[in-house]
Amino acid sequence: MSAVETVPKDEAMFRSAVMSLVQLYIPQEIARDAVYTLGQLGIVQFRDLNSETNSFQRTFVDEIRRLDNVQRQYRYFFKLLQKHNIPLYEGAIEQYDRPSNLNDANIMSQLIVPPSTSAIDDHVQNAALLEQRLVQMEEATEQIEAQKVDLEQYRIVLQSGDQFFQSGDSMALAATATVVDLEDTLRRSSITINFVTGIIPRDKINTFEQILWRVLRGNLFFKHIEIEQPIFDVKTQSYIAKNAFIVYSHGDLILDRIKRIAESLDAHLYEIDKNPESRSQKLLKINENLSDLYTVLQSTTTTLESELFGIGQELNSWYQDIAREKSTYETLNKFNFDKNRKTLIAEGWIPEDELSFLKDCLVQMTSKLGVDVPSIIQVLGTNKTPPTFHRLNKFTQAFQSICDSYGVPQYREVNPGLPTIVTFPFMFAIMFGDMGHGFIMTMAALVFVLNEKKFDRMKRGEILDMAYTGRYIILFMGLFSMYTGFLYNDIFSRSMTLFKSGWEWPEDFKAGEMLYAKKVGTYPIGIDWAWHGAENSLLFSNSYKMKLSIVMGFIHMTYSYMFSLVNHLHFKSMIDIVANFIPGLLFMQGIFGYLSVCIIYKWSVDWIGDGKAAPGLLNMIINMFLAPGTIDEELYPHQAKVQIFLLGMALLCVPWLLLMKPLHFKFTHSEKKNSFPTADDIETQALLHDENEDEIAETEGTIAANNDSEEGEGHGEELGDVIIHQVIHTIEFCLNCVSHTASYLRLWALSLAHAQLSSVLWSMTLELSFGVPGALGVFMTVSLFTLWFCLTIAVLVMMEGTSAMLHSLRLHWVESMSKYFVGDGIPYEPFVFQYLDMETDVANNAGNIAA
Amino acid sequence: MSFYTVLGVLFTVIIISVVFWVLAPKENQTVWRSTVTLSLAMMFLMWAITYLTQLHPLIEPRRSDLRPEFVE
Repeated sequence: MSAVETVPKDEAMFRSAVMSLVQLYIPQEIARDAVYTLGQLGIVQFRDLNSETNSFQRTFVDEIRRLDNVQRQYRYFFKLLQKHNIPLYEGAIEQYDRPSNLNDANIMSQLIVPPSTSAIDDHVQNAALLEQRLVQMEEATEQIEAQKVDLEQYRIVLQSGDQFFQSGDSMALAATATVVDLEDTLRRSSITINFVTGIIPRDKINTFEQILWRVLRGNLFFKHIEIEQPIFDVKTQSYIAKNAFIVYSHGDLILDRIKRIAESLDAHLYEIDKNPESRSQKLLKINENLSDLYTVLQSTTTTLESELFGIGQELNSWYQDIAREKSTYETLNKFNFDKNRKTLIAEGWIPEDELSFLKDCLVQMTSKLGVDVPSIIQVLGTNKTPPTFHRLNKFTQAFQSICDSYGVPQYREVNPGLPTIVTFPFMFAIMFGDMGHGFIMTMAALVFVLNEKKFDRMKRGEILDMAYTGRYIILFMGLFSMYTGFLYNDIFSRSMTLFKSGWEWPEDFKAGEMLYAKKVGTYPIGIDWAWHGAENSLLFSNSYKMKLSIVMGFIHMTYSYMFSLVNHLHFKSMIDIVANFIPGLLFMQGIFGYLSVCIIYKWSVDWIGDGKAAPGLLNMIINMFLAPGTIDEELYPHQAKVQIFLLGMALLCVPWLLLMKPLHFKFTHSEKKNSFPTADDIETQALLHDENEDEIAETEGTIAANNDSEEGEGHGEELGDVIIHQVIHTIEFCLNCVSHTASYLRLWALSLAHAQLSSVLWSMTLELSFGVPGALGVFMTVSLFTLWFCLTIAVLVMMEGTSAMLHSLRLHWVESMSKYFVGDGIPYEPFVFQYLDMETDVANNAGNIAA
Repeated sequence: MSFYTVLGVLFTVIIISVVFWVLAPKENQTVWRSTVTLSLAMMFLMWAITYLTQLHPLIEPRRSDLRPEFVE
């Protein structure tokens, strides 16, 4: 592309950006500031130079550990904030974003100055102090809380005492009346009936009763009352339904045993008096105690909350500071020290066109810090595979992620994300063609697109987030659906009579007579509305949509296939053009290209006007294989010869595809010891030849140590591998030509299904209400319209839309991308500071600990 | 109205695409060029196929539910 020179930076959309591996020499004094600056720029992907050292042996482990602790403390503060419902003041989040329009002139003024180390130390000390204080306060509160609960429970038991003794006495007496003798003996031996009272969780009440029954052999009287309000449980920190109970029995030994059983079942025992007066006295006393406790608790909570409120104002900015500091040190850990430990050496990938910008940045930074030792940047030659980097914006991002989720494009190969911007929504639209449904979809997408700023800062749920990230995809899907719907002449399954119909019905006829329309012209744009409602309309739309999907599919595949030529040309791999691209192209065009041309040719001939029989294309293509040379119905003169030639060519392409590459490999391989690249990594290898080989040798010494672990394979290609690979490729390619073409028929099936479903929905709901007179008619229209509209949104737009989207996705991943896409790239992940949302962070961390 | 209509429209679409290719905005040029030309191409194809199907149709619409009083 010639125009690229006019733009300052490579757009890096058609191909990924050219990357260079650079070495940075940073004096130790300014290392932290330098990395902090780089973290804000987000243009360098650092390589880990200490990958063999485990994370505990690295240079800045202590710093990271210290910061980890602070982060843990901050997360604890955040949890307390959540617990006490105190909002976290997030501040202007924008300030944490990567500055979007950095210009070279004055970079440093646009960046945040890194907090000084003493500021970080302050953070650390502060956090420790605050944690101590908060923990103390929390403990105090909990203690008071426990006391409060205890007293409250006591109060409940006391209050229930009235009920216990009212009914309990008579019952107990009744129970004991049966054992009057025993009673007498008891009295005589001065053992009185005694009781145990307390509170127990409701779900344990049955167990408790059963155990008591068994242990005491039924020699007891048990009664319990449900407490309406659930009671706060200090142990589990939650509210639990509880019951107050009373157990009558006799004998100290037995009572002891009952107490022990109760306590083992988490019951709390409270002694109450049988005498109502002393009970009410006790109650008064407890109420007094409780009110004291309430005041204490309130004042403690207020102090705690005001403390937390102060923390909530600052916590987020502290957290971001610490997170940045931590990722700075984590990056520093990837660096090497030179021999006398004065300079840090870093290695990383950077887009070539950002190199001068990076240099400017570092120069400005050094001069600002007033250090006279400059940082040095040196570009390295390398044989490592550079990461793939496409410069994306909010529009292209979603489309790129569709492709990236299948595979990251190889370095510098054609990026499938670019054509996907149009082909994906358009293929969708062929299946979803309806102006009304497309309009709804467009409106929904516009809500997201126009309120981008609002949605961007919102905390989105999973589904909403998906819709929001894909807003431009949905917008395009909607727009193209409106276009295809216009061509299908479908708006909510109705038709529009915008142009004069190309068909005319006869003038005079009787009602119920079978009528045939007469052709008077051709409908200029879209399907003629005369077909709408015709008895044989399905016959027509079937044939139309089937041919449409074959032709569109064929063109889509050919278009994709051409990218493989672009790739081979770019990587200067002639053998792939001659041995793969050309025979493949001839094979595909010879069969399916021919079919498509025949379809279009057949349309352009006026068969009825010429008085000839229209040949069936399906039979023609089948006969082309089964009985070459025999033509049942002639489509055009010399058809037999052309077909035999095409068939012969296609058949010839198979051995060509199969043999040429292995043979070529054999000959070139025996001549040159330096193996010629083959098969998969042909592009990688070709690309390496671009880089000057002397430089590789030169720098080998410096980076060899890091090199060998990653590279080294790929050179050992054997002839056998090439043969196997080529056999697979040949079989796959030839079969795929057939199956992929057939696969595009899904366009036909889905669009037909969509049109039918929407017309059925129309006739089953809204249409029923037409012509119904009076109030009933009004009611039916309103209610059936609601039903129709809801079902249209839910079924036709959402469900059908999702299904069509998945089909379109498949057409791209399988049918289109398999034609050219290698997709073994390494994603470019530059070191950049991320804004960490505390809430998600805390949730994640809790999850990690649980797991 | 014939096959030449399709060729004429094709020619127009090509001219529009070329003009846009030259005039495309400088920022995000690749995306603009690819998106607009590809959209035009696909929209043209879709229209052309629809038009061609109806150019020399082999079947005509048929219905028996028309009533004489509603025919214009």
